[in-house]
Amino acid sequence: MTVSPALLSLLLSATLGAGADQVRVQTVDGESVDALAAPAGTKAIVFLFTSTDCPISNRYAPEVRRIVSEFARQGVVFRLVYPNPAEQPSAIREHMAAFAYDGAFQALRDPGLALVRHVKATVTPEAAVVAGGRVAYVGRIDDRYVDLGLERPAPTTHDLADALTAVLAGKPVSRPTTQAVGCFIADFAR
Amino acid sequence: MTPKGNHEDTKPRRKPLDVSFVFSWFRGCILACATVAAASAQSVTYSKDIAPLIAGRCAMCHHPGGSGPFSLLSYDDVKRRAALIAAVTERRYMPPWKADPSNGPFIDQHPLSDDEIGLIRQWVAEGGAEGRPAPPAPARTWTEGWQLGKPDVVVTLPQPYVLPPDGTDAFRIFVLPIPTAAVRFVRALEFRPGNPKVVHHANIRLDTTPASRHLDEAQPGPGYDGLIAHSAQYPEGHFLGWTPGQVAPLVPKDLAWRLDVHTDLVVELHMRPSGKPEPVAPSIGLYFSDAAPTRTPAMLRLGRQSIDIPPGQKDYTITDSYVVPVDVDVQAVQPHAHYRARDVRGEATLPDGTVRPLIAIKDWDFRWQHVYRFVTPLHLLKGTRLSMRYTYDNSAENPRNPDQPPKRARWGQRSSDEMGDLWIQVLTRDAAALDTLVHDFRPKVLAEDIIGYEVEIEKRPSDAGLRDDAALLCLELGRADAAVTHFAASLGLKPGSAAAHYNLATALTVGHRLDEAAEEYRRALSIDAAYAKAHNNLGNVLMQQRKFGDAIRQYQELVRLQPSAPNGFANLAAAYAADGQFERAVEAIDAALRLQPPENVASELRRQRAAYVQRTR
Repeated sequence: MTVSPALLSLLLSATLGAGADQVRVQTVDGESVDALAAPAGTKAIVFLFTSTDCPISNRYAPEVRRIVSEFARQGVVFRLVYPNPAEQPSAIREHMAAFAYDGAFQALRDPGLALVRHVKATVTPEAAVVAGGRVAYVGRIDDRYVDLGLERPAPTTHDLADALTAVLAGKPVSRPTTQAVGCFIADFAR
Repeated sequence: MTPKGNHEDTKPRRKPLDVSFVFSWFRGCILACATVAAASAQSVTYSKDIAPLIAGRCAMCHHPGGSGPFSLLSYDDVKRRAALIAAVTERRYMPPWKADPSNGPFIDQHPLSDDEIGLIRQWVAEGGAEGRPAPPAPARTWTEGWQLGKPDVVVTLPQPYVLPPDGTDAFRIFVLPIPTAAVRFVRALEFRPGNPKVVHHANIRLDTTPASRHLDEAQPGPGYDGLIAHSAQYPEGHFLGWTPGQVAPLVPKDLAWRLDVHTDLVVELHMRPSGKPEPVAPSIGLYFSDAAPTRTPAMLRLGRQSIDIPPGQKDYTITDSYVVPVDVDVQAVQPHAHYRARDVRGEATLPDGTVRPLIAIKDWDFRWQHVYRFVTPLHLLKGTRLSMRYTYDNSAENPRNPDQPPKRARWGQRSSDEMGDLWIQVLTRDAAALDTLVHDFRPKVLAEDIIGYEVEIEKRPSDAGLRDDAALLCLELGRADAAVTHFAASLGLKPGSAAAHYNLATALTVGHRLDEAAEEYRRALSIDAAYAKAHNNLGNVLMQQRKFGDAIRQYQELVRLQPSAPNGFANLAAAYAADGQFERAVEAIDAALRLQPPENVASELRRQRAAYVQRTR
């Protein structure tokens, strides 16, 4: 399913936490919305930065869907963010369908990189967890990729899930920033 | 997935991404890039410096439909990946060339020099200017479709395999019958991945037995999960396989390899799941020669199957060597190891002590398994020592270690096991030299294979087939006692099997344990009285024991079971003659001759007949 623009603006109507700045991004349909707005009762927002043709980003799709299914029912809202201004809405819709993101995520475009700057994301894929008006975590999903061209057969840490578990338990995130490995968002601005 | 508590990060073995630089550069660039690009006349530009590097080293894979995940054909394509390109070239992850650049030179070698990598780094740091004049439309550095032209036969997986979206490395073996009605001679085999974005390399073998087909049929869907059957082999003296960016060239006609009818292609694909289900249907094109080859290369293999790495050991080393008994020209080398290997090298020490490197890979990556083909074959004199030395890291600090925490790692074909082979393809001056080389080398490789079988037997002690295969290798090496042990164990696993008793008897015979051999043949015959080969072999044992009357009875039973096989009558004739019954011997030879044996056998029989006739007078 795709979230209709009307429904999405409704979902984005309340800003999460007190005192958070507005961060203007676009829906896939081109409507300007505040990325940090979320329905009442939302405990955290996860922004997952992605791009349609970054292979590392795409390989994470099944893992990301597992994390969504585990945490969405616990009051966590997931938003897939496409920071590459060259990625058009049609390509984004195709990408969401191909990797079965439809229904699991609201999709946002961040062509002006406002949200990228707000959470200090650097690559795709990278996750940012915003809770209580603060960026509680930014970094890798897990440690499967150690570097470009250097990959573990299986991850040994699950950084995003650990961060969400801590946030939901009201505890500090033990490692609030980690180094994500993937395609540089900086390249998209060239 | 299970969320965990606190984690210590494992220290990456390479320089971490300099993202602070990239990011701060990027923020600055939003304001200043245009001016930077315009201002510096001396600066590195895409048009002048970068486009030729990308065209020559990247575009052959990074084009629409190519193996690369995205195209790098225009300024726009490249500038949108600029920092990524700088990062992956800096790490020498791309272009994927693992060998030391001083090795070879090899065919299809496209490494970047340190200066070229520096140029890319500088270009990105300066803002990635396009420069003037704009480069001409990029020259196409690749060929669409079949790289070697139209194949004589194309074999395609009839129904695509659907690769699941999840996981890191996926392996599956596909079995493709080759539709040829006659023996062919093959100059090249070109592999097309079908879905180049996920097919990462192909390991190809030929199976003239139905073994691989049976493994395929036993599992639903195209292909099977498991190991390549022992009966699936390289064609004599040739490599088969594919890695992105490599096409095995046509071999000269006189070096073509023989393809028998009813041969199956066995294609093991190493695939990288993409995050979504991917259909995979590879094709293989075969290019035939119109004539039989006049030369055959030899395939030498150095390596150890005794690999046994304790958990946590960072520098486990294996070495092996072999001194060539004839002059050889090294055509190509292919190192093979799995995830824990770190440093892989092979070299040749000439009789005068000069050392020539064959291959050196300081940062072994299981994912890039090239065949390294020398542009000019490396001539090595008789007496040259070929050697290999591989080092493995089975510690938790090796991110590629498939076991976390590390476990004992032993030899095995599964990617979670370890291997360490250096395949070396050589040509000899002539057929006689090839014969000398093969006869000298074969016992070495057999002995190593037996070690591998013993490791597999330890892991799968109830697999009688492994025992049988190991026993046959032992017999070929003349190790009759070891063969007896393996066949006896096999018999223990299938006690009612006449064939198992027969096999054990065969090994006992080779070991000159004739009483025991006769006993085992009799047991085989008590299970299957119509076991013609057991009657024959028991007859042979009895002949050796000079029990001619008993031997005659076995051969009589043999010719009754196989009345149209001349050999039975010939053996019977020999037994009669040994027993002094020359008239009956002559009758048996006549019976054999009526069955029209091959001429060389027939002439020998006629010679014997004449001798027996003399004795009847």
